[in-house]
Amino acid sequence: MENEKVLLVIEDEPAILIFLRSSLEEHGWEVLEARTARIGLDMAAKKKPDAILLDLGLPDKDGLVALKELRKWTSAPVIIISARGQENDKISGLDAGADDYLTKPFGINELLARLRVAMRHSEEKPEDAAPVYDHEGLKVDLIGRHVWLKKKEIHLSPLQYDLLAVLVRNAGRVVSQKQLMKEVWGETRDVTPELVRITVHQLRHKIEPDPVRPRSLKTEPGVGYRLEAES
Amino acid sequence: MPNKSWRDYAFAILSVSVCSALCFAMYPRFELTNLVMVYLLGTLAVAARGNRWAAGISSALGVLCFDFFFVPPRFTFTVSDAQYVWTFAVMFTVAMIISHLTIRLQEEAEAARQSEQRTTWLMEKAKKAEVEAETERLRSSLLSSVSHDFRTPLTAIVGSAGTLLGKDEIKKNPVLREQLENIQEEGGRLSRLVQNLLEVTRLESGSLRIRKELYPLEEVIGSALERVERSMPGRPVTVDFPENLPLVPMDAMLVEQVFINLLENGIRHTPAGSGLEVSASADEKAILVTVSDHGAGLKDEELERVFDKFYHDKASPGAGLGLAICRAVVNAHGGRIWATNGPDHGAIFQFTLPRGELSHGK
Repeated sequence: MENEKVLLVIEDEPAILIFLRSSLEEHGWEVLEARTARIGLDMAAKKKPDAILLDLGLPDKDGLVALKELRKWTSAPVIIISARGQENDKISGLDAGADDYLTKPFGINELLARLRVAMRHSEEKPEDAAPVYDHEGLKVDLIGRHVWLKKKEIHLSPLQYDLLAVLVRNAGRVVSQKQLMKEVWGETRDVTPELVRITVHQLRHKIEPDPVRPRSLKTEPGVGYRLEAES
Repeated sequence: MPNKSWRDYAFAILSVSVCSALCFAMYPRFELTNLVMVYLLGTLAVAARGNRWAAGISSALGVLCFDFFFVPPRFTFTVSDAQYVWTFAVMFTVAMIISHLTIRLQEEAEAARQSEQRTTWLMEKAKKAEVEAETERLRSSLLSSVSHDFRTPLTAIVGSAGTLLGKDEIKKNPVLREQLENIQEEGGRLSRLVQNLLEVTRLESGSLRIRKELYPLEEVIGSALERVERSMPGRPVTVDFPENLPLVPMDAMLVEQVFINLLENGIRHTPAGSGLEVSASADEKAILVTVSDHGAGLKDEELERVFDKFYHDKASPGAGLGLAICRAVVNAHGGRIWATNGPDHGAIFQFTLPRGELSHGK
């Protein structure tokens, strides 16, 4: 195995730590454990982990506050752990600089996939971002501005294409509603959340064989959308 | 209270009559001024009933009777000695003052009693509000700790089982695999039950705020299907929405839960492998969603009761929360939910979501 990557897990529940430690070590991660936000911040500074997993429900400090402190001096990917019903926390977490989130209960494969994507995005420089996305019959060429579904080229409106392009550049990673509004519509004032939803809806009818069961353009309920990572 | 005041006047007349009778008995042996006292006493008794007008009448009648029956010349209203006019004036004034004071005293006592009652009532109310606020605080802190305390071990259980299932040794051993899958699936089920329990408590305590925004229904059923098809795979669900279905104002997370609960309920109560259908239509006022299955349908008496909390038929598992949540969510949106039986068996669940007002979203 190539040199191990270091993951700092800031989580106060021993049962979850046991689950994470042995599962992750098997997949080539060295796991550092911190039971409180204070210890976590301290370890993040001293050990410089490659990625950080942060539970939002910590005993000593609000996880969001800890995240903001982390972001002042580290750009290592941070994935937050939260629960269904805490969508506002997830959005605040993404706004505060988290790369992604996991909703309890989650499996190790889901966590590994998130880590893989977060690591890829943190390591690559903008210029070597893959200009072509290819997943489940959907192919997007960002240089030539072409989109194919099952080898057949499809035509998107400029807005639909821009939205898809933002998702492709963030492939595998959640993109919040707010982020889409900012990156697709820029400073336009009259963009509303429903305009984003309508555009996604139209886009799905063009790029998804069954728009009710999207294979690529997934909904992240209450947060935003995610284009599945290339497999 | 006309009835009561009629009695007061009757009492006034009766009182004056009794006083006059008493005075006749006293007359030979007592001085006339003492008879005045008897009439004043009578007026006091009338005033004690609290009616000013009856007391006034009693005062006036007392003076008249005293004059007529006892002041010489007797049995006429004429008066031989002018000083008696002065006596009458004093007698009438004293009677009026006594009755006024008596009645005011009574009114004040009544006011004091009422204000005491009001104070007690207010205090009880304040105390009740305090208790309610305290209960609410307790309930929400209990909710968040239950949510955390249940989800944490479940995350560890489901997660650890999942990790083991990925191992080659396990993949080769069907017994271990089956047992682990059992742990993983049931852990997942427990997790969904906890979620439902939390949601129903939150909906009922009113601590859950509905945040409506415009959504395409397709996106919401899509998220619901993603979860249902993962947790209860192997059942064909057909979704048939018209292309021009309008956006609907809704709290998408909650309506997604309605879809999940209706689909899971349908899957649990129908034979393995049978399908479910979801369709929708819209008119100017509302959107109508239909979820139908191909099971045995519902008994007539169940059509209403299935939406009651903790109702479930004995033959199948479940906490009886899923449909109760559906009803609470749909009602909170101003819609309606009901169940019927299809023409060729199978249950049909339908609900409406009004297209009208968008509320305090954002």
